[in-house]
Amino acid sequence: MALLDVKDLKTYFRTDDGIVKAVDGVSFSVEKGQTLGIVGESGSGKSVTCLTIMGLNPKKNTISSGEARFKDEDLLHMSPRRLRQIRGNDIAMIFQDPMTSLNPVHKIGDQLAEAVLLHQDVTKKQAKTQALELLKAVGIPRAERRLGDYPHQFSGGMRQRVMIAMALVNDPDVLIADEPTTALDVTTQAQILTLMNNLQKDFDSAIIIITHDLGVVAETADDVVVMYAAEVVEQGSVDSIFRRPHMPYTWGLLGSLPRLDTDLERLVQIKGQPPSLLNPPQGCRFHPRCPYVMDICKKEDPPLKPVTDDPAHLAACHLDEETKDREAQKLIEGTLAAAS
Amino acid sequence: MSQTETAPMTTDGRRGDELLVVEDLQKHFPVTRGVIFQKQIAAVKAVDGVSFTVRQGETLGVVGESGCGKSTMARCVMRLLEPTGGRIVFEGRDITKLSRTDMRPLRREMMMVFQDPYASLNPRKRVGFIVAEALEVHKLGTEAETKRRVQELLEVVGLSPEHYNRFPHEFSGGQRQRIGVARALAVNPKLIVCDEPVSALDVSVQAQILNLLKDLQRDFGLTYVFIAHDLNVVRHISDRVMVMYLGHAVEIATRQQLYSDPKHPYTGALLSAVPIPDPRAGRERQPIVLEGDVPSPINPPNACWFHPRCPRFREGHCDVETPPLRPFGDGHFAACHYPLERWPMTADEMRTVREPAAAS
Repeated sequence: MALLDVKDLKTYFRTDDGIVKAVDGVSFSVEKGQTLGIVGESGSGKSVTCLTIMGLNPKKNTISSGEARFKDEDLLHMSPRRLRQIRGNDIAMIFQDPMTSLNPVHKIGDQLAEAVLLHQDVTKKQAKTQALELLKAVGIPRAERRLGDYPHQFSGGMRQRVMIAMALVNDPDVLIADEPTTALDVTTQAQILTLMNNLQKDFDSAIIIITHDLGVVAETADDVVVMYAAEVVEQGSVDSIFRRPHMPYTWGLLGSLPRLDTDLERLVQIKGQPPSLLNPPQGCRFHPRCPYVMDICKKEDPPLKPVTDDPAHLAACHLDEETKDREAQKLIEGTLAAAS
Repeated sequence: MSQTETAPMTTDGRRGDELLVVEDLQKHFPVTRGVIFQKQIAAVKAVDGVSFTVRQGETLGVVGESGCGKSTMARCVMRLLEPTGGRIVFEGRDITKLSRTDMRPLRREMMMVFQDPYASLNPRKRVGFIVAEALEVHKLGTEAETKRRVQELLEVVGLSPEHYNRFPHEFSGGQRQRIGVARALAVNPKLIVCDEPVSALDVSVQAQILNLLKDLQRDFGLTYVFIAHDLNVVRHISDRVMVMYLGHAVEIATRQQLYSDPKHPYTGALLSAVPIPDPRAGRERQPIVLEGDVPSPINPPNACWFHPRCPRFREGHCDVETPPLRPFGDGHFAACHYPLERWPMTADEMRTVREPAAAS
């Protein structure tokens, strides 16, 4: 039994224009001490998936179904009271923008202590001490003096550290990080990723990291879920996804990345735009942008099924194995760009 | 210092085809106190003595962390900000002190593409107007000609001519950035300064824009100054790269030199911090994690600006003597007393410093 098991998760939003299917049948699981990376373009449903698990979607206008089992309790169908106990305590979240996710009018120390007081039976003084310990743990220099500072006195990287400290207050079992390094410089990003890695070792937590940076995924994740237009199109271990990707969308993502270790004259382009989720395309949702499109793609939605010799690696594509292997090989060798 | 920093221009031996020469550019923003009698109490040295050249038809990439002065430098070069000191020479003509009127005809030679495709297009104007505005300002062509030119431009950047009458909100981020590129192209500029043009975009859209910029460069012989903080992107698009730190250029080299044989420890740290999208190579990667944050440009460190964070810091040298931009051959320059002997290096290897390089 996995620590967190998400099955057939669906989140629909009612809007004036109709129903937006933001997440449409997503399943994955995370084990203790493991890191799951969720990748995809903006609007592919990565963040909404995690917000749904955390029960943070607006109640009004949201329809969710499926299940998200955490230690045998379904997060989607539990009382708000129980959910509040779990949220911030057993499951914590780090948001993308460290500028807006801290309260600007409260001191850092008070904000950290608040998170402790909510979930633990301690005095204010003890909570303060714990807040200080955490600030030290995430590597804030002169932590004693920074407790009384306001968020605007911190740099972007330091604010993200504070967010991580806050998420770790109660030693969560699952840490969900929504684009934790997107707003940061590479040097700061390296600091934050190293920090998250060390903390995972210390606390043996499971981490779900949402990002569109495939470099970050390759280095931090054990398993990867690739999302496109509210659906999972490919999932598997990080090695299988990067070494033998089985879906044209994943090829596009990997090939569109300029990288330090290869020289390409042109990058692979995924033509066009992601589809509207109000009215997703018939059949395979990727077919209007897919260079390998066949007739069947326009009619039938390909199921997410295991690839021939690797049952843990799932992909949703009608293409035959031979073509997939050939094209994936071309991609690895950096010659796919010339072909597209 | 300014003497040695102008070295890149005079020693690479290929004068003549330089489109843009910047010498010892400075931009200091005053920090004032008081309401009526504003007294200057300090200065933010956003750009402090940067020199570089851009040759006809090449792309100069500029990288650095946020706050290192990349954008300020670009705005000074475009004369959108008044430089505090230094010289900007465009096509052999000193434009540093030109008046607004004298500057106007030159404006069509140099255009800019901005970072945020959502904020840099006027939401109340139609795309046709946005792209045509520069043509109208410079009185190039009649109304019919302008319209034809705009539709042509929209096609060049991969949009449909029918998009002429639409508003910016009807487009996605990538399409808006295409509109920004079309606007910059409208007056046939020689130089385009791109300030983080792909930072706000998804990787797949980023690839579209990068390919577009490369195609346009080939087709129209454009020269780019390309600012970004993503080293992968800069490597992909640039011929030469300048690394900035705290308002200074710390290393200038060709792309090949910079990425395979960096000399400055800061460049090394930046390169090692880039995640590699390959699980096996990625896990072996040992990033050289820099301690702390970029210091405040109001009160920059003494001597070498990088010394408080530098793994190769030597007390009594790096914090006393400012390292000049020193040549390493073939137009490769770096400002460091203890340049890297080889690359790649681990953090430990980087810390063990050999003898200071003999000043050549």
